[in-house]
Amino acid sequence: MTIVQPSGGGAAARPQGGGGSLADVIDTILDKGLVIDAYVSVALVGIELLTINARVVVASVDTYLRFAQAVNRLDLSEGSKGLPELMQDMTQGVARSKTKGAAQGALEAAGEKLRELIGEPDEEPVRRRRRGREEA
Amino acid sequence: MARPTHAAEEARPAAQATATYLYGILPADVELTPEERGVGDPPGRTALVRHGDVAALVSELRLDRPLGRPQDLVAHQGLLDDVAAEVPVLPMRFGAVMESPEAVAEQLLVPHHDEFRAALEELEGRAQFVVKGRYVEGAVLREVLREEPEAAALRDQIKGLPEEATWDARIRLGEIVNRAVEAKRDADTGALAEALSPHAAAIVVREPTHEQDAAHLAVLVDTARQEEFEDALEECADRWADRVTLRLLGPQAPYDFVTGRPG
Repeated sequence: MTIVQPSGGGAAARPQGGGGSLADVIDTILDKGLVIDAYVSVALVGIELLTINARVVVASVDTYLRFAQAVNRLDLSEGSKGLPELMQDMTQGVARSKTKGAAQGALEAAGEKLRELIGEPDEEPVRRRRRGREEA
Repeated sequence: MARPTHAAEEARPAAQATATYLYGILPADVELTPEERGVGDPPGRTALVRHGDVAALVSELRLDRPLGRPQDLVAHQGLLDDVAAEVPVLPMRFGAVMESPEAVAEQLLVPHHDEFRAALEELEGRAQFVVKGRYVEGAVLREVLREEPEAAALRDQIKGLPEEATWDARIRLGEIVNRAVEAKRDADTGALAEALSPHAAAIVVREPTHEQDAAHLAVLVDTARQEEFEDALEECADRWADRVTLRLLGPQAPYDFVTGRPG
């Protein structure tokens, strides 16, 4: 597998920061993050938002035809790599529940883990602009 | 979205020309270089509205044109991700607009001060990463044909024939492939999350954005353990060689980890 960097210049798997392509940005900021209406009921200003197509994957006849077309043009003679056994090992015993991603619970769980696992992040190479703030 | 009370309606000018666009909440002890790089056209100048220990990152927004051009979306996330590289931040969903900086302080920061401060403390020293996996088309389709005899038979049946003559067989073939890929996505997403979870503070499984997606995860990582997380991801990448292409985005603001509502 290849790891594709959003922008060049780092070692493999060392991200260069940023949100990636516009599609990646749309996936991230349109339906995630804090919703202002949940916190404020007055002094909100309604603005006109340009229509942005939410890209939802729904299996449709089009999807089926695309898959059929892809299978049809597949050249079976070329490089028929088998499913690596490693993959099977990896897939075994997968517990969806561990990663069920209940976003609301995630932060609390994260808080517990923080106290368990993290020490003082003194190796952190991040430039701090903060005025004399103690690490929480 | 705007439902001001009667009193608030009277208190502000009838036709407000500008308003305050809100990016996110951060600790108040941050120094910001004001820059002309916010959303809007021309881009708004960024500023901080402080109250106690928390602050809102805002910019002025002209109300005479719609919001949501690609550069607005990129500006919103770009600002937040830059801030998140230095301090904890609670990102707002795109499109949060209030009447004025004073309204941001009085209506948002004052009533929710303690809640925001607690959430920021939990996020201290952490960043979000997004991992996207996409199947290598030929590899995943070969797997499906090997595992699904009916798909292989249908492939032979339609081979060399025009689409109109094989419509039903194509639909059936596509349906089988789609179902098989969905099952693979579930298994591979779970396997990836499992492999990354020892190195992550929290993981959210995102919806796929493409029919050939293998996995889509948002991962909250302790910055001190970022290298360890990336090593684990790279190990997965090696195992999946030639089968899945992985992309790693970040560090970002924790968009996927702040969706809780005020309690």
